[in-house]
Amino acid sequence: AAALFSQMRVAGLEPNHITFITLLSGCADFPSESLKFGASIHGYARKLGLDTSHVMVGTAILDMYAKCGLVGFARVVFDELMVKNSVTWNTMIDGYVRNGKVENAVEVFNEMPERDRISWTSLIGGFVKRGHSEKALEWFSEMQVSGVEPDYVTVIAVLAACADLGTVGLGLWMNRFVINEEFKDNIKISNSLIDMYSRCGCIEFARQVFEKMPIRTLVSWNSMIVGFAVNGLAEEALEFFNLMQKEGFKPDGVSFTGALTACSHAGLVDEGLLFFENMKRIHGIRHRIEHYGCIVDLYSRAGRLEDALNVIENMPMKPNEVVLGSLLAACRTHGDVTLAERLMKYLFELDPGGDSNYVLLANIYAAVGRWDGANKVRKRMKACGIQKTPGFSSIEIDCNIHEFVAGDHSHVEAECIYSMLELLSFELKASGFVS
Amino acid sequence: KNDGTDEAAAERRRRKRRLRIEPPLSSLHRAQQQQQQQQQQAQPQKAQNPNAPKLPEHVSALSGSRLNLHNRILTLIRENDLDEAALYTRHSIYSNCRPTIFTVNSVLNALLRQSKYSDLLSLHRFITQAGVAPNIITHNLIFQTYLDCRKPDTAMEHYKQLINDAPFNPSPTTYRILIKGLVDNNRLERALELKEEMDVKGFEPDPVVYHHLMVGCVRNSDVDGVFKLYEELKEKLGGVLEDGVVYGSLMKGYFMRGMEKEAMESYEEAVGENSKVKMSALAFNSVLDALSKNGKFDEALKLFDRMIMEHNPPRRLAVNLGSFNVIGEGYCAEGRFKDAVEIFRKMGDYRCSPDALSFNVLIEQLCNNGMLTEAEELYGEMGEKGVNPDEFTFVLLMDTCFKENRPDDAAEYFRKMVDAKLRPNLAVYNKLVNGLVKVGKVDEAKSFFDVMVKKLKMDIASYEFIMKALSESGKLDEVLNVVDTMLDDDGVEFSEELQEFVKGELRKEGREDDLAKLIEEKERQKAEAKAKEAEAAEAAKRSARAAVSSLLPSKLFGNKESESSSAEANGNAVEASVVN
Amino acid sequence: RGQAAENQIPNVVPPSILDLRRLCQEGKLKEAIELMDKEGVKADANCFRALFELCAESKLLDNAKKVHDFFLQSTWRSDLQLINKVIEMYVKCRSTTDARRVFDHMPDRNIDSWNLMINGYADNGLGDDGLQLFEQMRENGFKPNSETFLAVFSACGSADAVEEAFIHLESMKTEYGIAPEMEHYLGILGVYGKCGHLNEAEEYIAKLPFEPTAVVWEVLRDYARIHGDIDCQYRAEEIMAALDPSKAVTNKNPNPPPKKLTAINMLDGKNKISEFKNPTLYKDDEKLKALSGMREAGYVPDTRYVLHDIDQEAKEQALLYHSERLAIAYGLISTPARTPLRIIKNLRVCGDCHNAIKIMSKIVGRELIVRDNKRFHHFKDGKCSCGDYW
Repeated sequence: AAALFSQMRVAGLEPNHITFITLLSGCADFPSESLKFGASIHGYARKLGLDTSHVMVGTAILDMYAKCGLVGFARVVFDELMVKNSVTWNTMIDGYVRNGKVENAVEVFNEMPERDRISWTSLIGGFVKRGHSEKALEWFSEMQVSGVEPDYVTVIAVLAACADLGTVGLGLWMNRFVINEEFKDNIKISNSLIDMYSRCGCIEFARQVFEKMPIRTLVSWNSMIVGFAVNGLAEEALEFFNLMQKEGFKPDGVSFTGALTACSHAGLVDEGLLFFENMKRIHGIRHRIEHYGCIVDLYSRAGRLEDALNVIENMPMKPNEVVLGSLLAACRTHGDVTLAERLMKYLFELDPGGDSNYVLLANIYAAVGRWDGANKVRKRMKACGIQKTPGFSSIEIDCNIHEFVAGDHSHVEAECIYSMLELLSFELKASGFVS
Repeated sequence: KNDGTDEAAAERRRRKRRLRIEPPLSSLHRAQQQQQQQQQQAQPQKAQNPNAPKLPEHVSALSGSRLNLHNRILTLIRENDLDEAALYTRHSIYSNCRPTIFTVNSVLNALLRQSKYSDLLSLHRFITQAGVAPNIITHNLIFQTYLDCRKPDTAMEHYKQLINDAPFNPSPTTYRILIKGLVDNNRLERALELKEEMDVKGFEPDPVVYHHLMVGCVRNSDVDGVFKLYEELKEKLGGVLEDGVVYGSLMKGYFMRGMEKEAMESYEEAVGENSKVKMSALAFNSVLDALSKNGKFDEALKLFDRMIMEHNPPRRLAVNLGSFNVIGEGYCAEGRFKDAVEIFRKMGDYRCSPDALSFNVLIEQLCNNGMLTEAEELYGEMGEKGVNPDEFTFVLLMDTCFKENRPDDAAEYFRKMVDAKLRPNLAVYNKLVNGLVKVGKVDEAKSFFDVMVKKLKMDIASYEFIMKALSESGKLDEVLNVVDTMLDDDGVEFSEELQEFVKGELRKEGREDDLAKLIEEKERQKAEAKAKEAEAAEAAKRSARAAVSSLLPSKLFGNKESESSSAEANGNAVEASVVN
Repeated sequence: RGQAAENQIPNVVPPSILDLRRLCQEGKLKEAIELMDKEGVKADANCFRALFELCAESKLLDNAKKVHDFFLQSTWRSDLQLINKVIEMYVKCRSTTDARRVFDHMPDRNIDSWNLMINGYADNGLGDDGLQLFEQMRENGFKPNSETFLAVFSACGSADAVEEAFIHLESMKTEYGIAPEMEHYLGILGVYGKCGHLNEAEEYIAKLPFEPTAVVWEVLRDYARIHGDIDCQYRAEEIMAALDPSKAVTNKNPNPPPKKLTAINMLDGKNKISEFKNPTLYKDDEKLKALSGMREAGYVPDTRYVLHDIDQEAKEQALLYHSERLAIAYGLISTPARTPLRIIKNLRVCGDCHNAIKIMSKIVGRELIVRDNKRFHHFKDGKCSCGDYW
C-alpha cells in the first residue's frame, strides 16, 4: 500500500481523505514497522489541513499513534481536532486503554458528551485487561444504570472479569442476560461462559453450556479440558481430549496443557509422559515452558523429585519461577531440604524479587526444624527488601465480593465471623484435627 | 396477694438482671441482632464472657425462616430420620439461619425417646459450644438422659448449675424427673432432700413426687417412711387427696406391716364406688401391683377388668403397658404361663405396645420354667413388633440354651448380640466361654476370645481360663498366641504364676524356651516403638522451638519453659506469619 | 410547599387527599409517605389509621417514625384513638422504647392504651416490663378489664412467670369480679406453653372447670410442636380430632417412632440390663471415646492449646485467623445451610489450612471450593479433589 501511495504521489494525484484513512489504518495494523511512514503521512495530511479539520482523517491519525504506542502524540492530535465524533472519542479511550493508561481513559470518558456502548466497552475491557476486574464490574453496573445496552464484546469482557474474580453470582446473572439477547448463540460468548464457570469452580455448568452449543471451536474444547483438569476431574478431562480428536479437532498446545495437568492430578505419570512425547512426535507441537511445568509437576506429585529436577536441568529454555515453585512445593511435602536449597540457587537468579518461593523455603526449613536455614531466608528477604505479598481471600455473597486478609477485623460483621471461627476451630479439635 | 407477685417478680428479675443488660447477641438471628445493636448503641459494649449463661430465646423467635427450619426438622423426626435431623440442626448452626433452642429441643427429645444417649449428649455439647442458650426443656431432657444412663451425680451437678446460673427457675416437671431418677438410682436420701428444696422454693406439693418417694421407701422396706410421706402430703393438701397416685404405695406399706384390713380400706377409698379420687393409669397400676403382690391376685384381675372398661382412648387412658406387665407377672407368679402369654399378646387391642423390658420379663419367666420353645417364639415376635432385643434378652436365651444342652444355639445368640452392636460385659463373655469349654468346644471359645479381646478389657482370670482350656487340648501354639495378645494389653500383667503355668505346659513338649523368646521379642518391639515415639516428639519440639525463635518477635517469648507445651500453637503461629 | 401547589397551572391537578387515600387503600406505603413528604399532602384521620396499620404490617421502624412525625404535625395529634394506634404500630415494629415514649407523653390514657402497652411488652419478649406496667396501672387507680388480664397473662408467658399468672387470675376473680372466660383459660394455658411447661399445661387442662374443647387441645398441640414434645403433640392432636373431626390432620405420618425402651411401668426393679451390659464403650470405639472424654471436660472451649504465654498479637495468629478461614466463616453466616461456598485466594493455600478446610467441609456439611493461585480445591466430606497435593 505504501508503495502504491508513493506511485500516486509521483503521478501527481492529490490524495483525498479516503486515501489517508486507508493508509493510516494500514499503518495502525503494523505498528512496529510503519510508524515512520505513518508519521510522514501525518505530516502530509497536516499540510493539507486534513488532520485537524477532517474528523475521520484525524481519528485515523489518532488511532495510528495510539496503536503505535505513542499515546501522547495521539492526545495532541485529539486535542487539535476541531470536530470530534463519537468514533474519535472512542478511539482516544481505546488508545489510552491500549497503552495501559486507564485513569486517562476514564478522564476522557467522563468528558465525553455522549457515551455509546463502544465507549463503555472499551473502558470495561481496559479494566479487565489491566487486571482490575472489580473496577470493570463497577463500571459495568454503571453502564446498566445509564441504560446503554451492552453488546457481545461487553459481555465477553464482563465474563472475563467474573472468571477472574470467581463471582459466579454475577456470572449466572450474565448468563441469564445473554439468553435474552440475539447474540446468545455467539460462540465467543459461549466460550467465555465455559471459561467463567470453570474458573468459578462450577464445572457442571460449564459442561451444560458446552453441551448446548450448536457449533464448537477448538477453544471450546480446550476450555472444557483445562476446566476439568484444574477442577481435579482428570478422567473427564482426558475423555474430552479423546472426544475432541474423534470429532476431528486437532489438539494444540493448550489442549496438551490440559491433558498433562489432568495426568498430574490423577498421578498418571506414564500416561503424562506419553502425551508429552506424542505431542512433538505425532502432532508436531513444540514444547513450551508450561508443558515442561506440567511434567515437573507430574514428577513432583508422584514424589520423583530427582526426575523432576532432571527435567528442569535439561529443559531447552530457562525455567521460570512457576516451574521451580512447583518442585519446591514438592520438596516441602517430602521434606527434602537439600534439593530445596539447590533449587533456591536457581530461583535467586531467576526471580530475586518474588516472595512466594522464599516463603516456601522458610517453611521447608521450619518444618524440619532447620531454624538456622529459616532464619537465613528471612534475613535474605529482608536484605533484598522483599515483602511478603499479603494473602487475601474473597467470597461472593449476593453478587457482592467480600475480601479478607489474615486477622482482619474490618468487616462489619467481624464479631459474628470470629465467633463462628471460634466454634469451627473448637469443632476441628473435637474431630481430632491437630494442626 | 401483692406480696406474692412482688416476691415472684423479684426472684425472676434477680435471675435475669445481669443478662437483660446484654442480650444474647450471638444466639439471635442476625437481622434481629442488628436491630438490637441499634437499640443498644447508647450502651457501652462490654467484653462478654462467652461462658456466662444467656437468656434463652422467646417463643416469638420461632418465625420466618427459622420456623420453616423448625418444621422441616420436625418432619424429619416424624419420618424417624433422627441422624439427618441432628445433622441438619448442626449444619444450620453454620448458616444464615440458626436453629432456635426449640428446634434443638425437638431433636434432643426425639433422641431421648429412642435412647440415643450419646448422640443426644453430643448434640447438646455442640449447641452449648455454639452458644444456643438452653431453656428449661433442654435442662429437663439432660436430667432425664443422665438419670436414664444411671449417672445421678452428673445429673445433680447439672441441676446445681441450673439453680446457680440459669436465668429461669426449674419447673415442677424438673423435680419429677430428678426425684424419680434419684429414687431409681437408689439415691432416696437425696431425693427426699430435693423434695424439701421444692417446698422451700414455694412449689406446690406434688402427689406424683410423693408417689416416687413412697415407691423408694417401699423398695427400701421403710414402712415408716411410706406413712410419713403420706401423712405429710395429706396435711399439705388440706386433708383431701384428689390424686390417687399414692394409694398403691400406701397399700404396700400396710401390707408390709401386716395390716391387711387397713390396706383394703385404702383400696376402697381409692377405687370404691363413691370415691372422688382421680385414678390415672399410673395410680391404677400401683394399686394393681399392690394387690397382685400381696395374695390378692383375684382382686387385681377384677380391678384390671374395670380398668379395661374405663379405658377409652384417646380421652381416658386407664391402662397402659405397665398394667399388662403387672398382670402378666401376676399370672406367672401363679404359674399360669399360658394366660400370661395370652394377655401379653392382647396388649395391642388396647393400644399398648410392649417394650424390650416387658418381653424380657416374660421370656425370663418362660425360660426359668422349662418353656424355652415358647420363650424363643416370643423372641421371634420382638422383631415383628419392631422391638429390639437387648443384652438381657440375649443372655437369658444363651444361658437357657446352655442349660438345655444346645451350646451351638447359645453361641449363636451371643454372636447375634455382638452383631447387633450391643455390648455384653466380661461376665457374659466368661459365661459363654465357660459353657463352650465345658462341652469341649475349645476352638469356638478361642474364636470368641479373638473377637472380644479387641473390645473388652479382659482380666487375668479370663486370659488364664482360655490358656488353660487351650493347653488342655494340646494347642500350645494357640496358648503362645494368647500370651502374645496379653503382652500387648497394658491393662493386665503377665503374672509369675501364669508364666510358670505356661512354662510348665511348654516343658511337656520341650518348648520351654519359646516363652522367653516371645517375651524378649515383645520387649524389643516395645522399646523400639518407644524410641521412635520419643524421637518424633523431640523432632516436633525442636522444629517448633526453632521456628518460633526464628520467626516471631522475641518479645513474645519471655518464658522459655513454655515452649514445649505450646509447641503446637507456635507451629501455627509460624504458619500464620510465614505463609499468609 | 403549599404555595407551590397553589401556583400550579390550574389544569394540572395537584395531588390531593384523594390520591393519598387511594395509596393507603392500595397499601402503597412508600408512595404515600413520598406524597406527604414531597407534595405536602396532609392526611386525615382515616389515612393516618391506615398508614399506622401499614407500617405495623411492614414492621419497618423508619417508615413508622416518618408517619409518626407527620402525625405529630397534624391536627389529629391529640386524638386518643389514633395515639393508641401509634403505640400499636411501634410495638409491631418491635420498638417498645418508642411505644413507651408515646405512652408516657399521652395527656390522657384509656384502658386500651394500657392494654396495648402491656401487650406490646409481652409480644416483644419483655414480659417483666409489661408486668411492671400493670402494677403501675393499678397503683394509678386504673381498673383493669377483661382484656387487660389477657395482656397480663401474655406478659406472664413471656416472662416465665407461671406462679404470678395464677395470682393475677385469682385477683381478677376476687378483686375485680371478672369471671374468667375461655380466652382467659387459654391465656393461662399460653403461659404454660410459652414457658415450656407442657406437662403442667396438660394437667391444667384436666383440671379445667369445663369440658376442654378442641380449641384447648389445639393450643396444647401447637405448643407441643414448638417445644418438640412428640408424645404430647400426638396425644393432643388425637383428642382434638376426636372432638372436632374437621381438625383431623389428614396427611399425618402414619407411625410415630417407637417409644424408648424403658417405658412407664411397674417393672423398674426388673431392669437387669446393667448386669450384662458393658457400661463403658468398647475398646474399638476409639472415636466415641474421644468424644466422651471431651464431654467430661465440660464444654468449656479449650483455648489452652493456643494461648500459653503468648501476647494478644500472637494469640490472634495462633488462633489461625487466616484469610481463607475468615472468608469461609463469613460465607457460612451469610448463606443457607449446605449450600457450597466459593473462595478465591491470591496465594497458595497453606498446608495447615488445607487440612483444616478438609475437616471443616465435613463439619459444616458443605462443599467448600477454594481457588488459589495454583489450582482448584473442591473440599467435600472431609476430602479434597486435589488429593492432598497443593
